Amino acid sequence: MFRIIKKSLKTGVVTGQHPEAGPAEQPVASEARKNAAPFRRSLAVREVDTGSCNACEMEMNALMNPVYDGERFGLHVAASPRHADALVVTGPVTVNMERALKDVYRATPDPKLVIALGDCAVNCGVFKGSYAVTGPVERHIPVDVRIPGCPPRPAEILAALEELRGRLDKTAG
Amino acid sequence: MAETINPTERLQEAFGNAIADVSQVQGIPRFRLDKETLPLVAHFVHTHPDLRGSLSLLWAVDHRPREARYELCYLFTLVEQKDWLLLCTDLHGDDRLFRSITPHIHAAKWYEREIRDLFGLIAQGHPDLRRLVRHEHWPKGTHPLKKDFHWDTVLERHQGQHVFRRIEGEGVFEVPVGPIHAGIIEPGHFRFSVAGEPIMQLELHHFWKHRGVEKLFERQRLTTGLSLAERVSGDTTVGHSLAYCQAVEALLGLEVPRRARYLRSLFLELERLHNHLGDVGAICNDTAYALAHAHCSRMKERIMQLNDRLTGSRFLRGVNQIGGAGCDLTAGQLSGLLEETAAIERDFSELESVIFANASLTDRLEATGVLKERTAWDHAVMGLVGRASGIDRDLRRDRPFAAYDEVPVKVALYRYGDVRARLRVRMDEIHESVRLIGEIRRLIPQGPIAVEPAGLPAAGSWALSAVEGWRGEILYVVMAGEEGRIHRCKVRDPSFVNWPAIQWAVLGNIIPDFPLINKSFNLSYAGNDL
Ligand code: SF4
Repeated sequence: MFRIIKKSLKTGVVTGQHPEAGPAEQPVASEARKNAAPFRRSLAVREVDTGSCNACEMEMNALMNPVYDGERFGLHVAASPRHADALVVTGPVTVNMERALKDVYRATPDPKLVIALGDCAVNCGVFKGSYAVTGPVERHIPVDVRIPGCPPRPAEILAALEELRGRLDKTAG
Repeated sequence: MAETINPTERLQEAFGNAIADVSQVQGIPRFRLDKETLPLVAHFVHTHPDLRGSLSLLWAVDHRPREARYELCYLFTLVEQKDWLLLCTDLHGDDRLFRSITPHIHAAKWYEREIRDLFGLIAQGHPDLRRLVRHEHWPKGTHPLKKDFHWDTVLERHQGQHVFRRIEGEGVFEVPVGPIHAGIIEPGHFRFSVAGEPIMQLELHHFWKHRGVEKLFERQRLTTGLSLAERVSGDTTVGHSLAYCQAVEALLGLEVPRRARYLRSLFLELERLHNHLGDVGAICNDTAYALAHAHCSRMKERIMQLNDRLTGSRFLRGVNQIGGAGCDLTAGQLSGLLEETAAIERDFSELESVIFANASLTDRLEATGVLKERTAWDHAVMGLVGRASGIDRDLRRDRPFAAYDEVPVKVALYRYGDVRARLRVRMDEIHESVRLIGEIRRLIPQGPIAVEPAGLPAAGSWALSAVEGWRGEILYVVMAGEEGRIHRCKVRDPSFVNWPAIQWAVLGNIIPDFPLINKSFNLSYAGNDL
């Protein structure tokens, strides 16, 4: 017990100890911002991997670690699409995952957002054209926000999500 | 071993006239056999007490258009000598059939199914010839690695259902899981058969993420395939790119400068560190011990940020290039790196004592998900999962690459094969990696970090390279085509071998322990599905 307390005291607060995100490659469209309005305070995301190399997921995971602590911005990872407000899709959509992606989309209640995370989800990246890949996410389901990068850094993901939800602009309600 | 018996002589003694040809490729003895005798020889290599060959890789090559033949190659690692031995056979003309070795050597099971899916060559006598990579909705006759299959073919959809093995009986029910799981994790499908609580059978249905990586390689030149190799499995960027580079360097006859070899080892250890740290936390998290998870993910994040500062990539993309290293570190950066890793190690040691003092945690880990040494051996399990089950193999020691011949590694080895053993292997390796980083920093020589690739290898020549990534042995076979193109690139992540072993480790455990067991293996889906 004392060991745990000692460890916690010694560690202190690590939240926010990360480099700032650079300027976003793709600004969030105002249309998407409008769609995101209901989720300003709380956004439950469901991560769907449709064929990524796994680095994009790892960065998504990192978003929930004590350093980025996505929870403090009202981000939650939902265990089921039925509990989700937004789908974060990573990877090019493989032939084998196409159906699962559509099922997940259908299972997610409206209103919902779709976020394409990483170059693969946006334009298939290095896997473009392969017989086993059916195209980027937007070929199958409507996409609201694109966060390019291979992989985008967690700070960049966070910044994009904040921008989407209009939370960067502190004065607005 | 009293006197070492030359395996070549052993085989010639036993099969003298059946062996068509013996040659050496990169110092590996290669035996060319006709397709009827190959299974006998493979069985002999596998079981003979002096050889005890464990199947490390089985791959096929379509030699068209140059020659009208398919070649099958079986790579064995001899347990005592830690040497490789290669058996090859040809299928000529329209011949599509070969004899399965799976009835004797379990480790061949997925390889032979994979070859059937990707090349349309059928392993006769294989106990389970269902589709593996091509899911049931793929049209018949699509074999993507055949040379007459175009890389950008648009596949049609067909009707079809995967048939799972079933257990029937009173009170037996099935639990399907996936391909979409609850956490932030890759897609895969698990089908459990349970009677009450304990798992009676688990069947994996994977390859959801099949992206056609091996076919994409065939569109590249030897010198341009690197960025694809880095994206085979994102968490093993260094391991895969290093294995690819080494294969190409062997083909081009490049001598990598010593400083570059040290840098390669350094980055490989950094990659091991961040993955192991993450895993230790994740295993604890799956027993609902969130405190350890929080601390570990904090330390992991520290290493990722360190990676980013040193190389411009949190995943160490671009640190390898053909002919050497893609980035250099100054003396100041090296000592900063050492300080930081040493601080993280101290941090981690404190956490370790917290973890070990937690009796209820130990209770969950002990005797959970046991992979017996015998089962591990039968399935040729390797890497950290193997080392937790008493399989004493580590390429860094057994076939040193990069700078490991000058910076020897102490190999962590446990025998229990349970979740705790796999956790312990990781913890030991974290300390070992920090020690290695210190050694590397002490011994790293000055000098150039890369040589320019030049020249072209003869079409048809090939090279094999092996790297001990953080999960285990990563193998690449690269065969040159015309004008410096890639004719074939076989990629083997350790996950491909270790996945089937999970099916045995879970037996008798309860489903709520499955996430824990799965996490302790932490295998890649991307590297497996390709
Ligand atoms: S965008 Fe890059 S990091 Fe993300 S899944 Fe694709 S290859 Fe991996």
